[in-house]
Amino acid sequence: MQVRRILILLALAVHAVGVASVSGLSGQPAPDFALKSASGENLRLSEYRGDVVMINFWATWCGPCRQEMPLLDELYSRYKRVGFNLLGVNIDDDPNKAISMISELGVTFPVLFDSSKEVSKLYDVNAMPVTVLIDREGQVRFVHYGYKSGYEQKYLDQVRSLLRE
Amino acid sequence: MNFANNSGLLAALLLFASTAILAQNTPPAIGAATAAESSMAALIESGSRDTFRALDADVQTLKKEVLDLNRDLFLLEEELLFPANSQVAFFVSMDVGEYFKLDSVSLTIDGKEVANYLYTDREVDALLRGGVHRVHMANLKTGEHELIAVFTGQGPHARDYRRGATVKIDKGIGAKYLELEINDRVSKQQPEFEIREWE
Repeated sequence: MQVRRILILLALAVHAVGVASVSGLSGQPAPDFALKSASGENLRLSEYRGDVVMINFWATWCGPCRQEMPLLDELYSRYKRVGFNLLGVNIDDDPNKAISMISELGVTFPVLFDSSKEVSKLYDVNAMPVTVLIDREGQVRFVHYGYKSGYEQKYLDQVRSLLRE
Repeated sequence: MNFANNSGLLAALLLFASTAILAQNTPPAIGAATAAESSMAALIESGSRDTFRALDADVQTLKKEVLDLNRDLFLLEEELLFPANSQVAFFVSMDVGEYFKLDSVSLTIDGKEVANYLYTDREVDALLRGGVHRVHMANLKTGEHELIAVFTGQGPHARDYRRGATVKIDKGIGAKYLELEINDRVSKQQPEFEIREWE
């Protein structure tokens, strides 16, 4: 009887862990959007179908974003030739602040402006930064809230695994 | 005893007399009753005829009301239960595009912004190759509506260009398709924006 109870509790715990790992956007089709980029052209997420896409939501007032962006740019420069794309979505009200920051940091990946916060709402951005990884099929696979030193290794592993699929 | 005999005789006489009287009076009484009955019957008949007429009129009115209701329900059913009929679709198309590089189209119906679409280079290229883009689908009630379409992009000499076009949509029963067409007006060397309805 005791063993049975333990088994039931274990099953419930496993189920709870499963739900937590697929909660939110993970496993869902990535909501499509189009935004104006720093280069002036409009970019649409669905046009990157077939590539692994990372969306990084950031703001100029966010310290960890400033820390993370050069590392993301390295990742982008290394894997863009093999079907990896990185879209930085800036959520500042004034895009000029973002333009000066990307030129200061020397970021090469496309930066888009979500001044109206519509895309941030679509992706339920409630932390800063938020990094979303989308597979070749357009499904959200990993979502990272915030940034701590060492996260870049996680990103690297996940990008490599998605590129291999 | 004698009195008893007399009283019996008297009773017999009275009975006879009354019978005689009754025999004399009965025929006229029956005649009067028949007349009364007939007049009553006539009255009832005319009354019932009136009642029947009123009922008939009521039934006719009811029938008419049912028909009206049926018609209204049918129309309502058409208007409400088949939303496909209330649909209005808006398409964007481009012709040549020498004087205009499309950036975005924004649609406002009856004062409410319903679509704001940003076009990527690929999408603009597809439009220039003859593609038609369905920018928005709406369910609109029958009646008149106001559509404002605002086109932004780059005009002649790569200048930022913003142009609006307003049109009144008369929405009837059945789907409606509107094309927002961007043309080049060679004579003025300017783009031209036209909203036209597909027949």
